[in-house]
Amino acid sequence: MSVGHVARAFEDANIATVIIAVKSFETRMKMMSLPRVLLTPQLLGRPLGNPFDEQQHTEILNTAIKMLETAEQNGTIQDFH
Amino acid sequence: MEKSNQAESFEEFIKSFFYGRRCDLSFKFLSDLEPDKASIFIQDLFKDIVDSIDDKDLGQVKLRLLQGQMDGYREQKNFDYDSGPFFPLKKPLSSMILSLLTSSGHFLKTDDPKPLGVENMTQQEAENRVFDFLKEEPFLSEIPFEANPGELMVRHGGYDTRAALKDPNVSFPYKRMIQLNTKGVFKELTAKAYSFVGACSQIRLLKKTLPGWVDKFRNLGVDAVVLVPV
Repeated sequence: MSVGHVARAFEDANIATVIIAVKSFETRMKMMSLPRVLLTPQLLGRPLGNPFDEQQHTEILNTAIKMLETAEQNGTIQDFH
Repeated sequence: MEKSNQAESFEEFIKSFFYGRRCDLSFKFLSDLEPDKASIFIQDLFKDIVDSIDDKDLGQVKLRLLQGQMDGYREQKNFDYDSGPFFPLKKPLSSMILSLLTSSGHFLKTDDPKPLGVENMTQQEAENRVFDFLKEEPFLSEIPFEANPGELMVRHGGYDTRAALKDPNVSFPYKRMIQLNTKGVFKELTAKAYSFVGACSQIRLLKKTLPGWVDKFRNLGVDAVVLVPV
C-alpha cells in the first residue's frame, strides 16, 4: 500500500513510476489504480527472485524499465514470465 | 509446569503464524485463509515436500507456497481507488534519469534510522513492534549506489527478510540498476537509491511525508523511479 501511495503522488507530480511487485500483491495493485506494475511469480520478500540470481534480477528489472516507454495508460499491469 | 487442559483449535493454530507464538512472516498469510482452505494447503504442501525430495526439484513446493500466499493476500482489505494518475513519458529511455525507491527497509549500517527511537533495533524487535510501526511516519534512508552489499542492513517487521539479508538485490536491486545503466538502457542514475519501511501509517505518509519526498525527487531531476514493495 505504501509504495502504491508513493507511485500515485509521484505521477501527480509528473515523475513516472514503475512498480515491481510479487504476484500475491495483484489484487491490492489493481485496487490502487496504479500506472505501471510488473508482477513477478516470486515469493513474498523477494520480488526480483532468489538471492544471487543476477540473470533473473536483471531480466525482471529490464522488463519493468521498458514499461516506462511502452505503457500508455493507468492500470497497465503486466506479468513477468 | 502445569499443562493447559484447553486444546488449541486449528483456527488458533493458523492465526498464530500472524505475529503470534508461531510467527513466521512467510506463512502469516495462513491467518487470512478460511480454516478449510488452510488445512488443504498444509496437506498439499506436505505431499509436495515429499515429491520434491523424490524428484530433487523444489519447483512444486515453491508453486504451492506461491499459490498459498496469493490466496491469502487476495482476502486482505486495501485502499480502493476508482481512478489513478498516469504521467506519460515523452522521451526515450536512453535520455532518462532514473532512481530506485523501495519499501524493503534497507539502510546503511553507518546510518541506522533508529525507528521508534530505538538504537540497534533487531529484526525480532521490529516484528514484535510492527503495530507500533504502523502508527509512525516513515523515514527515507539514502544509500549511495556505489555502497557495497556488506555496508547495508535490512530491518522490517512486515516480511521475511532472510533472502534480503543474503542479497539485498532481491528487493533492493541497486546493483542491477547500475548494470543496466552501464549497458546504456537508460541515461543516468541518481547518486543515491532510497528505502523505507513500508509498514507505516498510511495517513501520515499521505498527509505529511509524501509532499516532502515529491519535492526531493523533483529537485533530483529524475524522469522516472523504479518502486519495489515487499
